[in-house]
Amino acid sequence: MGTLQNLSTRHPIWTAVVLVLIVGLIWLIVAPWPPGLEQAMGRKRIFLNAILSGITLGALYFLVASGFTLVFGLMRNVNLAHGSLYLLGGYLGYGAVDLTGYWLLAFPVVFILVGALGLLLQHQVFRRMEGQELRQTLVTIGISIVLADLMLWFWGGQSYQVLSPDWLTGPMTLPLISSIRADGEAVYLSYPRVRIAILIAAIVIGVAMWLVLNRSRLGMLIRAGVDDRDILAASGVRIQYVFLAVFAFGAGMAGMAGLVGGTFQSLSPGEDTRFLLASLVVVIVGGMGSIPGAALGAVIIGLSEQIGLVYAPTYSVVFTFLIMAAVLAFRPQGLLGAQH
Amino acid sequence: MMPSVAGRLNAAGSANALELRGVTRMFGALAALTDVTINVRPGERRAVLGSNGAGKTTLFNCITGDFPPTSGTIRFFGEDVTNFPPHERIRRGLRRTYQISALFTGLSVLDNVYLACRGVSRGRFSLLRPRTGDALLQAAESLIEAVHLEAVSHRLVGELSHGQQRQLEIALALAGAPRFILFDEPAAGLSPKERAELIEILSSMPKHIGFIIIEHDMDVALRVVESVTMLHNGRIFKEGPPEEIESDDEVQELYLGGGHG
Amino acid sequence: MAHVLPATAPERLTVLEGIPAPVWGIGLLLLAMPALASNFVLFQIFGWSFVLGTIALSLMVLAGYGGMVSLIQMTVAALAGYVVAILGTSGVPQISLGWPWWLHIPLAILIATLFGTLVGTLAVRTEGIYTIMITLAIAAAFFYFTRQNYVIFNGYTGFNKVFPPALFGIDWRQPVPFYYLTLGCATLSYLAVVWMARTPFGLALQGVRDNARRMSALGFSVTAHRVLAYSFASVIAALGGILLVWQNAQVVPGTAGIPQVIDILVIAVVGGLKRPIGPFIGALIYALLSVFSSDLLLAFGMSGERFKLVVGLGFLAVVFFSPDGVLGLWQRLQARMERRGRDLRPGGEGAS
Repeated sequence: MGTLQNLSTRHPIWTAVVLVLIVGLIWLIVAPWPPGLEQAMGRKRIFLNAILSGITLGALYFLVASGFTLVFGLMRNVNLAHGSLYLLGGYLGYGAVDLTGYWLLAFPVVFILVGALGLLLQHQVFRRMEGQELRQTLVTIGISIVLADLMLWFWGGQSYQVLSPDWLTGPMTLPLISSIRADGEAVYLSYPRVRIAILIAAIVIGVAMWLVLNRSRLGMLIRAGVDDRDILAASGVRIQYVFLAVFAFGAGMAGMAGLVGGTFQSLSPGEDTRFLLASLVVVIVGGMGSIPGAALGAVIIGLSEQIGLVYAPTYSVVFTFLIMAAVLAFRPQGLLGAQH
Repeated sequence: MMPSVAGRLNAAGSANALELRGVTRMFGALAALTDVTINVRPGERRAVLGSNGAGKTTLFNCITGDFPPTSGTIRFFGEDVTNFPPHERIRRGLRRTYQISALFTGLSVLDNVYLACRGVSRGRFSLLRPRTGDALLQAAESLIEAVHLEAVSHRLVGELSHGQQRQLEIALALAGAPRFILFDEPAAGLSPKERAELIEILSSMPKHIGFIIIEHDMDVALRVVESVTMLHNGRIFKEGPPEEIESDDEVQELYLGGGHG
Repeated sequence: MAHVLPATAPERLTVLEGIPAPVWGIGLLLLAMPALASNFVLFQIFGWSFVLGTIALSLMVLAGYGGMVSLIQMTVAALAGYVVAILGTSGVPQISLGWPWWLHIPLAILIATLFGTLVGTLAVRTEGIYTIMITLAIAAAFFYFTRQNYVIFNGYTGFNKVFPPALFGIDWRQPVPFYYLTLGCATLSYLAVVWMARTPFGLALQGVRDNARRMSALGFSVTAHRVLAYSFASVIAALGGILLVWQNAQVVPGTAGIPQVIDILVIAVVGGLKRPIGPFIGALIYALLSVFSSDLLLAFGMSGERFKLVVGLGFLAVVFFSPDGVLGLWQRLQARMERRGRDLRPGGEGAS
C-alpha cells in the first residue's frame, strides 16, 4: 500500500482525476438512472451486468495472476507454463468433482496435486538453473508444450464444464437497482450466485495473501527478496525453501483458478494460452511482484474485456491492448510496480 | 579531436582541469561527502586515498555525473558541469574506468576499443564496414599498443585473463582524446607482475591527460602521481606530494595502521 | 569469430569472407538440389525450411546480436502476409484492393517494419526479461484482433487464393521456381545479417547486448540501437511472411497464433542463436519432424498425432543439454575432435 500512498502524493492531479472517475462509476452503479441516461447508454441492467461480469472475471484473473506475479517478482522466473498449470488444475478438478460429487472438496485436492507438480518443477528443474533467467523461461515454454499435448491426449479436444454445486447454482438478488417500474417500485438486479461467491472468495484470498506478505515472517522474506535478491541471499535464510514454497503456492493457486474457471466458463485446449496471456497482461499493467498490483490489473483488464464485449464487440481486444500499451509507454514498471 | 576543444582550452586559459568547491553529498541523513574542495590542474596526476567508506566512490560518482552533489559546484576546464548528465561530461573529455571491468565479453579486444573510439565520433549508425587505413581503426590499434595488448587484440574478451581485462579497461578510457580520466581501483586483483605493468602504462600516458586514481594499493598509487588527497569520513584530511603523505604520522596511524590497506 | 580487419589484410574485407567454409559447400549443394530431390521435398521441406528459417533468422538477430528475445517476429511476418492479401488479389474480392505487385509488396514490407519498430519502442524500455512477456502479449492481441475483425482482416476465414505474381511468366508457386525463390530470399537475408554483424552498427548492437551501461557511458544511444535492430529484423521477418503466405496460398489468424509464434522461438533456439546459419538448421529439423513425425511415432507404437509432444521434448532436451542449440553441439564436437587430434599427434600432451 506504500506505493499507492507514494503515487498519490507525487501525482496529485492524476489521483484527483481517478477519484472523480471512481465516484462517478459508483454513482452509475448505485443510483437509479434518469431516463435520458438510459437512452444514451442503453439499459442499466446491461451496464450492471457488464460491470459485474468484468469484476468477477477480474477475480478469476487475479487468482491466476497472483501466483505468476509472485514467482516472477521473487524468483525472476517468467513461468510461461503457468497457463498449463491452470488448465491442468481445471481438468483435475473436473475429475475430482466427477468422482466425489463434492465441488468444495475438489479445491484442496487440486491445490495439492498441482502444487506438488510445482514443487517438483522448482526442486528438480529451476533450482539447477539459478540465475539463468532466459534458460528458465525457455524450459517453461518446453514444459507448456509438453503439458498441452499430454492434456490433449488424455482429455481430448472437447469442452468440459464443471457443474457448480446446488447451493451455489442459480441467481441471487443483489441490492443494486437495475430499473424503476412504472409504479415506482425498484427492480433489483439478479445475478448468478456462483460468480458472486467466487468474487468473495477471491477477495478473501487476496486479503489473506496481503496479510501473509505484510504481517508474517515468511511474507517479510518474500517481500525483501522481491525488492533485492542479494539481501535475501545474504541474510542466511535458506532461500531455496522460500522459493519452493512460493512456486508451489503459485502453482496450486493456478490450479484452483482452473477449477474456478471451469465452473464459470469451461475448459478446453487453448484455455491455457488464454489464461497465460491474461496473467501476462494483468501483471504488465499492475506491476510485477505486487499483489495489490495484480488485483488492480485484474480488475482493469476484466472490466475492459467485458465492457468492450458488450458495447464494442469487434474491438474489445484493442481496448485491452491499448491499456497495456499505454502502461508500457508511460509507466513501464506497471501501475503499482516498483521503479528499478 | 572535437573542434571546440582547442577553442575551449584557449578560452579556459589557466583554468583548472577539475575544480570542486564545497561539494557535499548527503544520502538521507548520512553525509558521504562534506565540503570537499579540490583543484586539479590540466595534466596533473593525483591520487585520492582513504579507507573504505571515506567517500572516494561517492566523490567519483559526483564528478562523473552519476548523481549530482547535494550542494557545491563542479567545474571541468572552466565550465560549470555540476548538473550535467554523464554523457555531456564525456563529450567534454571526461572518462572513467570501472572497479569491476565493464567490457563487451562477446566481442574481440579490437572490437571493444574500436567501439570506444566510435562512441565519441559521429556516424554511429553506419552500415558501412571500415576500410583499411580507417582512422578510427588505426586509433584503436594504437590504443591497444599503448596498453600492451597487441598480442591478444583478436581474442574474445571473455577469454582474457583478469589482468588483461583491466588493461583493456584503461584502453577504453583512453579512446577519443580524453582530457581527464578517473581511474577506479585499476590495480584491483592484479598480480605483482601485472601491477608493474599497470604502473608503466599509467606513467607513460600522454602528458596532457590528467587523472585521478582511487586506490587501496598505496604502492601503485603513490608511484604514478604527483599529489595526493586523503579523505576521511567524507572530508579532506590531508593533501600533499606522495613522499610527504607516505611519511606522515597521522596518515600512518589512521590509514595504514602499520600495514597496507 | 571474424574480426573487423585482420592485422595484415591488404584489401577491403568483403562480406563473403565472413562465411565459414562448410556453408559454401552446403550452398553449392542447395543450388543443385532440384536435380536430386522430388517436388514434394523441394516445396514442402526445403521451401518451408527456407521460409521458416528466414523468420527465425529475424528472431536470431534480435536475440543473438541484440540480447533481446522477441516473440513478435511471426506476427510481423503474418502482418506482411495480410497486407499482401488485402492490398493485392485474393479470394476475398470485397476486401482485397487488387493493387499491382510492385506496390503492394513494398508496402507490405514497409507496414510490417513500422509495426515491428513500434513494438520495439514499447519493448526496449524495460528490463530484458520483460521483452518475452511484452512481445508475447502483443502477438496475442494481434491474433485475437485478426480473428474478431471482419472489416479489414476477414476474421476467422482470413484470405485464401493469395498467389505470387506471375513475374517473367513463371508460376512461382510451382515447386522448382518456389524452391529457388525461397532459397534466394533466404540467402539474401542470411548475407544481410552476416554483413550487418560486422558493421559499426552491428558491433555497437553487440556492445549493447554485452554491457548496455558501458555503451551508454561511451556515448552510444542504447535505446536507438535496440529499436533500429527491431526495424532491421522486421524487414527480414516481413520478407519471410510474404513467402509463407504465398506458400500456403492463404493467411488466417492461425498463421500467427500463439503456437506458431512459440514455434519460431523453438526453431531459433534449437538451431542455435549465436550464428545466422542456426535458424535455418532449426527450421530444417522442424520441417523434417513435422513431415515425418507421424511415421516415426507410429513406428514407436504411439499415436501419429503426438507431433507437439516430440517437439516439446526435443526442445527441452536441447535447452537442458545444449543451450546453444544444434550449432553449439556441433562446435563442442569439433573442439573435442581437435583436442583428440592434438593429443594423438606425436609430441602431443597425452590422452585427455
